[in-house]
Amino acid sequence: MASARPLLLSIVAGTLAAGCGPKHVAGTTRPGQAMVALLPDSETGLTGRAVVSNEGGSADLAAPRDATLATSRRRPGAVKTLSAADVERFFGDALSALPPAPRHFTLFFRFESDELTDESRALVPEILRAVKDRSDPEVAIVGHTDTMGTPPANVELGLKRAMMVRALLVEAGLAASTIEVTSHGEGDLLIRTPDEIPEPRNRRVEISVK
Amino acid sequence: MNRLRWSAGVVIAVLAAAAPVLAQQPSAAGRVKVVSGSAFVVRQDATIPAQLGQDVFETDSLKTGADGRIGITLKDDTRVSLGPGSELRLQRFIYEPGSGSLGMVLQFVRGAAAYVSGRMAKLAPQSIRLETPAAIVGVRGTSLAIRVDH
Repeated sequence: MASARPLLLSIVAGTLAAGCGPKHVAGTTRPGQAMVALLPDSETGLTGRAVVSNEGGSADLAAPRDATLATSRRRPGAVKTLSAADVERFFGDALSALPPAPRHFTLFFRFESDELTDESRALVPEILRAVKDRSDPEVAIVGHTDTMGTPPANVELGLKRAMMVRALLVEAGLAASTIEVTSHGEGDLLIRTPDEIPEPRNRRVEISVK
Repeated sequence: MNRLRWSAGVVIAVLAAAAPVLAQQPSAAGRVKVVSGSAFVVRQDATIPAQLGQDVFETDSLKTGADGRIGITLKDDTRVSLGPGSELRLQRFIYEPGSGSLGMVLQFVRGAAAYVSGRMAKLAPQSIRLETPAAIVGVRGTSLAIRVDH
């Protein structure tokens, strides 16, 4: 298997170098050579961006399956687009071991209250279903506030909201041992505001099910 | 930038207030969510067979044998997985959005890996660095596959 990998990389090096790549890339692979491929997000279908760089220069990956082959201290190779079959061939095993995407729920509170809105309360059964779908479920509950008040006081307030939601979920049948509660206070605003601005959409608890 | 500097001030204040808490055991960076075949977590000098639900910490490495695969989900929802004959080091992982402390360095040592960015990439993409022996990868809300010849 150790001998198969350089061969695979040689093939890709050839693919990537075909046309405009420097000749030395094709057919020769050195220890420490790396191939980086940009992939579309499997949930959203959207593709992000990545920049591959070293002392020799950089390569921009921007389109689905864009790939570059990099060798130390040399400018990363010209960007080429891999076929879906190539992605499967080179990365299929690794991709098959990706954990399921975490699911997120945001619960909002009634104005100046510790009570959840009706819409938020109605999400509870769906949260419980997401937990049941997993073999090793983890539930993270994170409390958030708006920018009214001091940062330390808001960390405390966010924690209070998160603990309330935790109690609600445990009451609904969730195992307490799978739940972790934290607070980000005013440090992770949903709606960016200046300091000391009341904003109901920032007064929330976010739940992630992993 | 001004906002960042202001945050740094808050970080110092919060760290000072939280010093006794920080003296406790480090919290896990993530958890093993998928494992098959021979797969290991290497912590300092110990090589531990990976198990579903096992915590992984900053500076741990993940290793797979010829038939192994492993997938982890980190605290910020970043997901990373390895195919057979692969190794990855979780060099650095700090995720404390409440205090503005964010940082992730993943070292792709050998073999094939998949990476799907999480919340840190949305909050502060410049705080994430994916290292290979040949180049460094900067990301912006990205799914990537990385293969390193050894």
